[in-house]
Amino acid sequence: MGEQNPKQRLLNVLHQEVADRPPVVCIGGMMNAAIVDVMNTTGHTLPDAHFDENLMALLAQDVARYTGFENIAVPFCMTVEAELLGSEIDYGSLACEPKISKEAFSSVGNVSFPEFKGLPDTCRANTVIKAVRKLKDKRLDDPVIASITGPFTTAASWIDPITFIKEMRTNGLGAHRVLEHVTEVLVEFASELVRNGADVIALGDPTATGEILGPSHFKNFALPYLNELIDRIHKLGAPVIVHICGDIKPIEKQIMNIRGDAISTDAMVNLKALKEAYPDLTTMGNLSTYLLEFGNPEKITQVTRRLLHDGIDIISPACGLSTSTTLSNINALTGTVKKKSKK
Amino acid sequence: MSQLKDKLFQDLTDAVVNLDEDKTRATAQQVITEGIDAFEAIDKGLTPGMETVSRLYDEQEYFVPELLVAADAVYGGLEVLRPYIKGENNGKLVKIVIGVIEGDTHDIGKNLVRIILETEGYEVIDVGRDVPPDRFVEKAKEVGADVIALSTLMTTTMEGMGEVVELLKAEGIRNRFKVIVGGAPLSQAYSNKIGADGYAPNAKSAARLIKRLLTAEPVVA
Ligand code: B1M
Repeated sequence: MGEQNPKQRLLNVLHQEVADRPPVVCIGGMMNAAIVDVMNTTGHTLPDAHFDENLMALLAQDVARYTGFENIAVPFCMTVEAELLGSEIDYGSLACEPKISKEAFSSVGNVSFPEFKGLPDTCRANTVIKAVRKLKDKRLDDPVIASITGPFTTAASWIDPITFIKEMRTNGLGAHRVLEHVTEVLVEFASELVRNGADVIALGDPTATGEILGPSHFKNFALPYLNELIDRIHKLGAPVIVHICGDIKPIEKQIMNIRGDAISTDAMVNLKALKEAYPDLTTMGNLSTYLLEFGNPEKITQVTRRLLHDGIDIISPACGLSTSTTLSNINALTGTVKKKSKK
Repeated sequence: MSQLKDKLFQDLTDAVVNLDEDKTRATAQQVITEGIDAFEAIDKGLTPGMETVSRLYDEQEYFVPELLVAADAVYGGLEVLRPYIKGENNGKLVKIVIGVIEGDTHDIGKNLVRIILETEGYEVIDVGRDVPPDRFVEKAKEVGADVIALSTLMTTTMEGMGEVVELLKAEGIRNRFKVIVGGAPLSQAYSNKIGADGYAPNAKSAARLIKRLLTAEPVVA
């Protein structure tokens, strides 16, 4: 087989068609790869690039070029969605990611549900959409991945997370109502991203981990909304990657019920075993965030080789990247995967 | 009487384990009506309840939502019982200032640690998340804390913990407080490196660590 281009390769894997080798990607958003090393080299920096579609597109391309990840990923944070709903954001700095400084509501009971009239022109969600459009117009060989924060995590960034997590038990109906509204908003955001050229949508839902929610809450409060969002994105023709943080053991049986096209997991998950248990699953991951930051290129190469040997379908960092990770470590990961094709 | 007492203590424990705040409050009220010792009811009713809940959490029988609801039940019971605790029992409450260090907003773990410490009878002052090092120091001085408990989940923000220790040293008050650290990227080695007094991997071990630190050598005023 001739060498495929990165977009073809990733789309083939997501459609369960033949690829010449596993792609190596980083999905952006919660797994932002705009590390300090890259920004200091190119001068396209955060936090400015969170607000300006040109800068966002440039920085996303810088990241792909210097890290070797075979995709372009926007945005560089996971606060766009909660901001859209009215939470207060602290945009962070070059080295520190944006964060929710104050959720819009303290409890499910206090939420006022404004009628959702589409995305306002001035929101950062629109900046991301415009950046995707710009990237699309460049007709790059790399796929454009737009990353979205999942429904549960967005809800727990709109309402105080501790209260929201508790209110699944004490005000289940209210929690569902919040999740329905959030999902509606996310569907709109995702649809615009796809219409404007995103090749793949990645959903990261880190607050909805098996360890935090447990199997029953995951099944009732995370899964249905993830699937609703996935189905609506599929209708527009884009494949969906779903990232699940933490140890998936408590929710392992639910994983097959997620209707995404690939499941990406945290480093402690044995992807080889998961693949053996569920042969139809397209697996993605899972080089430890900590190893990437504190390890050395030799060790990273070794672990990457093991992932390739185990037949993991898409190679990527496990769960996130520290902004102080070095380029030499990331290149050990991406370089090792790319060498596979030359064998 | 003693039979009734044992039954009520058991009811308190069960109500907490069954995540029933109303039942916990009602039982606590009954304890008071029956003239049973409030401190004993906390010690033999509420505390074992929360201990069971945190064991079930460790065994992944319960998860974070259950732990939070159980904690509310305990708080409800405490609210009823506390005013009736006879003065002399255990002297001054140990005060702990807890928070998540600057740059980091991950606070689920910190909240669990706070809850376990509160249900074990400590007075906990929660300064929240994304808190600059000097805020910890100011707050600890202001409330006359015994312990400063620092949490972070991010490698990129760990250094702020060392700054807290350095600030205490610079003010010449390092000996007034025990400083403990916790959160996924932390370790005993890191705690040693920054000159903290100890590291705890989870909420229960944080409670044990504090007990050990405070009994080993009394905090010098
Ligand atoms: C003082 O004494 C003590 C003693 C014990 C102490 C203690 C103090 N503090 C904690 N403990 C200990 O006791 C607790 C109870 O037993 C335990 O607490 P834990 O907090 O460990 O456990 C909790 C009960 C459950 N666990 C959790 O709550 C954390 C789970 C994971 C998945 C996680 C979540 C949920 C979230 N996240 Co994010 N998140 C991850 C986490 C990965 C993971 N699997 O741990 C982590 C921490 N996140 C990460 C990242 C990168 C980020 N997150 C972000 C955001 C979020 C959410 C808001 C979505 C959400 C947090 C919600 C909230 N309000 O807390 C962003 C942070 C923005 C910022 N600047 O703050 C963002 C930067 C993503 C981005 N690109 O924007 C990674 C950090 C990487 C690093 N640099 O070190 C991460 C390790 C995932 C990864 N592998 O990459 C112990 O650690």
